[in-house]
Amino acid sequence: MNEALSLRRIFEGKWTQGAIPLVLLVALLLIIEIAAPGFLTGETVALLFANTAVLFILATGVTFAILLGGIDLSIQAVASLASVILAQLLPSLGLAAFPVAILSGLAFGTLSGIVHVKLRVPSFVATLATGGVVTGIALWVSDGRAITIEEGGRENTAWINATVAGLPVVVLISAVIGIASFLALRYTRFGRQAIAVGAGEPAAWAAGINVDRTKIIAFAASGMLAAIAGVVLAARLSSGSPVLANQLLLPAIAAVIVGGTAITGGLGGVARTAVGALIISIVRIGMTFVGVNIFLENMVFGAVLIAAVAITIDRSKIAVIK
Amino acid sequence: MTIHTEPLKSVSDIERTTLMTFLPGRIAAVFGGRRWRSLAPLAVLVVLCLLIAIANPNFIELRNLVRLANSAAVPLTLAMGLTFIILMGSIDLSVEGTLSVSAMVVVLLAANDSNGNDYGWWAVLAAIVAGTAMGFVSGLVQTMLRIPSFMATLGMWFIGLGLSVYMLGGSAIRLNDASIRDLALTRFLGLPLAVWVATGAFLLAAVIQYHTKLGRHILAIGGDEDVAKLSGVNVVRVRVTAFALAGFFFGIAGVLAAAQLGQSHAVIGDGRLFAAVTAVVVGGTALTGGEGGVVNTLIGVLIVTVLANGMILLGISPYIQQTVQGLMIIAAVALSLDRVRLRIVK
Repeated sequence: MNEALSLRRIFEGKWTQGAIPLVLLVALLLIIEIAAPGFLTGETVALLFANTAVLFILATGVTFAILLGGIDLSIQAVASLASVILAQLLPSLGLAAFPVAILSGLAFGTLSGIVHVKLRVPSFVATLATGGVVTGIALWVSDGRAITIEEGGRENTAWINATVAGLPVVVLISAVIGIASFLALRYTRFGRQAIAVGAGEPAAWAAGINVDRTKIIAFAASGMLAAIAGVVLAARLSSGSPVLANQLLLPAIAAVIVGGTAITGGLGGVARTAVGALIISIVRIGMTFVGVNIFLENMVFGAVLIAAVAITIDRSKIAVIK
Repeated sequence: MTIHTEPLKSVSDIERTTLMTFLPGRIAAVFGGRRWRSLAPLAVLVVLCLLIAIANPNFIELRNLVRLANSAAVPLTLAMGLTFIILMGSIDLSVEGTLSVSAMVVVLLAANDSNGNDYGWWAVLAAIVAGTAMGFVSGLVQTMLRIPSFMATLGMWFIGLGLSVYMLGGSAIRLNDASIRDLALTRFLGLPLAVWVATGAFLLAAVIQYHTKLGRHILAIGGDEDVAKLSGVNVVRVRVTAFALAGFFFGIAGVLAAAQLGQSHAVIGDGRLFAAVTAVVVGGTALTGGEGGVVNTLIGVLIVTVLANGMILLGISPYIQQTVQGLMIIAAVALSLDRVRLRIVK
């Protein structure tokens, strides 16, 4: 009786709740290794990390928006626009095309934030709309076509596809971004205020937090990280296109939630998102490895997604599950 | 600012009174405040129609109006189902998955160019049942596993899409059953049957919302779930029923889409989710739940359809049509949302 009680207490403890996604990640790795031995080699793991990088950067950005209790549905559009801008400008500007592309993300992220906060449009609709605006611009700029990064431009993107000390540069980039975002959320005033706003907006306002500014900064960060993801994706694929990142929006949001960040806001962080992105990525790659019928992949993915959320979500902090 | 003139306003109202939020509010106030603000979507629709008709008189030709009604049929049916979910404060992302499952079922069971089945209208019934079942499962997953509807229905989206792509073998399969194709081809009083089916769906949804206990309970849950529960509403049952009801409408929409296209393929649902959400929200139903309804959604669907039709008539480059649509959504929502009653905008 007593033992059962203490066991229950352990499972209700705060640290176990945070550890569940990590346990799931390890379990998935073991399942795949058992089903298809040879998965856990240095080479495949490096490939896994490299393939997760873009998803992780996108998911990190949207983590900011979700922590506030909002959502950013424009990240795939912003990432695609950044890829188009990069591919268009590389021949003429060289390396300077990178900051231009990334700043476009910052600008549209800020715009989303301003529309959301100042016009008081819910972030779901505001970012859905700005996503449409950005996609339109990307289509217009690229004339509706995919732009290949030619030989001359590829000299300037080669560094992204290189490896340093055995690690792909994309992994290093996402590690830097992950650590910076982690520190920003945990040790800066903005980070603390963002979590406070997500946990209870009226209380945060009453405590003197500038809620509007915090929200705009979060959406600006989300836009900028989306643009970085778009640039990395363009460099990896040697191409920019107005629909380049369209398939990444929902996996990115799923990564955030599977990692254990509450969709209602106020609970979670970048470390959880890293675990979530790896889970999503492993499920995707693992299915190919184990040999799931390609037409069935989406079905398995959906079922695993529901199961993963059901296991990892922290219900103690959500009053009403909507 | 206005803070001094209205000292009794609650804290959260004052908190938000910045200049930018002030302007749309003022514009609405000029036209008579809250009562009139609920008419803002209708005003947007009327103004939009007038502007397009002035720029291109072809807009009000009968032929174009029929085309307009026809292209509104599937989005209207979808949005009817989605409205109930959004009224509860939830979201259903499985729209495209459920629609593609229903379209797949009707095409594979009726006469087609892939197998020997020819069950006629039983196929339609089976498709609608399949849609309802998908919604029912979404509801069960959400309430029994206690995960947010956003994630539950996101999973169902992938499951539905995967199922239909698997069953179709990744190819497009033609629908050869003439009587089902007639939904799109035969006209009654000048309008294709699909439009009448969509109208029927709207009337059914209106009856459910305004004249049944289920409709009231859905609104109550959206207004405040805790209060609804304390008042004796069986929240779990209402939620599951609402998701099944949404699946029922998505199922009908899937049949209509298959009939209109004459086939089913992997991407039959592409883009329909965000179009449906846009229509619901532009019509004035709040994503937070408890406000709005199917009549709002009818207007929202018409706004979105008229805008798309108008941009084609006006010869606006297809590339920037999305941009214009995005700006219109922001404008419509900024004008019509009754922010005074929304405590927090998330």
